[in-house]
Amino acid sequence: MSAADNIGALPTIAGQSRPRRWLSRLGSGLLRLVLLTLAGLVLAGIVHIVTVLRVPALASGDAATVYAALGMNGRAELVTPPPAGLPAMLDTDPNSVAAVCSYDLAAGPLRVVARTSSLPLGLTVHRRGGGVAYAITDRAAIRGNLEFVVMTQEQLDERLANDEEGETSRELRVISPSLQGLVVARVIVRRSFDRSEAEALATGVACSLAD
Amino acid sequence: MRVLPLAYVIALGAGLGLVSARYAVAERPWFGRAQIGAWTTWPNSGARDIDPYMRAYLARGVHLPLGAGEGLELIAKEDDAGQALDARCRYLVSGTTPPARGWSLDVADLAGRSLQSTVERASFTDAEIVRGERGGMRIVLATAPEAGNWLPLPAGGRFQLRLRLYDTPISSHAGELRPSALPRIARIDCR
Repeated sequence: MSAADNIGALPTIAGQSRPRRWLSRLGSGLLRLVLLTLAGLVLAGIVHIVTVLRVPALASGDAATVYAALGMNGRAELVTPPPAGLPAMLDTDPNSVAAVCSYDLAAGPLRVVARTSSLPLGLTVHRRGGGVAYAITDRAAIRGNLEFVVMTQEQLDERLANDEEGETSRELRVISPSLQGLVVARVIVRRSFDRSEAEALATGVACSLAD
Repeated sequence: MRVLPLAYVIALGAGLGLVSARYAVAERPWFGRAQIGAWTTWPNSGARDIDPYMRAYLARGVHLPLGAGEGLELIAKEDDAGQALDARCRYLVSGTTPPARGWSLDVADLAGRSLQSTVERASFTDAEIVRGERGGMRIVLATAPEAGNWLPLPAGGRFQLRLRLYDTPISSHAGELRPSALPRIARIDCR
């Protein structure tokens, strides 16, 4: 082969390698985009989980926060309908009345006392940020009274340590996972003429410091 | 040149993560739900071991759900045939309810708000209905008045039915209920 032939072949090789190089660059660019997208999706998963878990702690419109000022006078206050200026409960049963006592266990454990009647009564402890910590109905009442004490795990430990050795405590102790929350008294209005009795029963629930 | 790929990853991750979390807790979540015929319930919504999605949903509004030992709430947005409940139609709710100290059935809009009606009747309790010879419930849902147990519907639009069972032993194992244990929802006719 002569030198003139080699010189003539060079532009052809260069012409073939240029699209190949372009294709290779495109391939590596696409691969990089796919890898970056995968990294973004992994990050999205982490952000999703962290956001869902943080919502209760950051919530400012949950029931315990909205009704935080109710029931501080030692008596449960009606929220069906709510006091002026406060939002109404969502998903309420028109055949029930509810009264709430807000609590802050930083001041000490809370004693809840309810008397029962012929109308079905349920008491629930709702922690701040949504969720029910405890529920009891009037079936558990003793001589027409339903009574329990809401406290934190630390306050329970302290109480257990102070209990007289060998003596059984008659106190029903309920642990709240959060310092703040709501005690909700819900009474079923089985007939419309029962409403005033149901409201009196719900607002008759007493919430006061246990000690 | 490294800033652009990093910005792409952060924008995709933060954007998609926040938007998907918002949608996941905007309504009652798919996780933890039990479907029994036309009725849907979330048995753990009032339990201590509530799942994070339901907890986040409850925290976003003024919700005070029934406690696990207090009762169970069931929601129906469709009839037994799987068709969306429509106020232009008439429905018959019949059958039995699981053992409970009492129950109530009410009609609400899709956001869960009780419907405002000109008639003072938006719900029934077990003590208020007129029962047949066999003791079962038979409630007609319609816009125009009906004989017997009648729940008025609005002039049009979609709605949902909410059945609450109070002080019921089935709260903890509601997912194992058979559809025959709950009231049937049958479409009678439509305008």
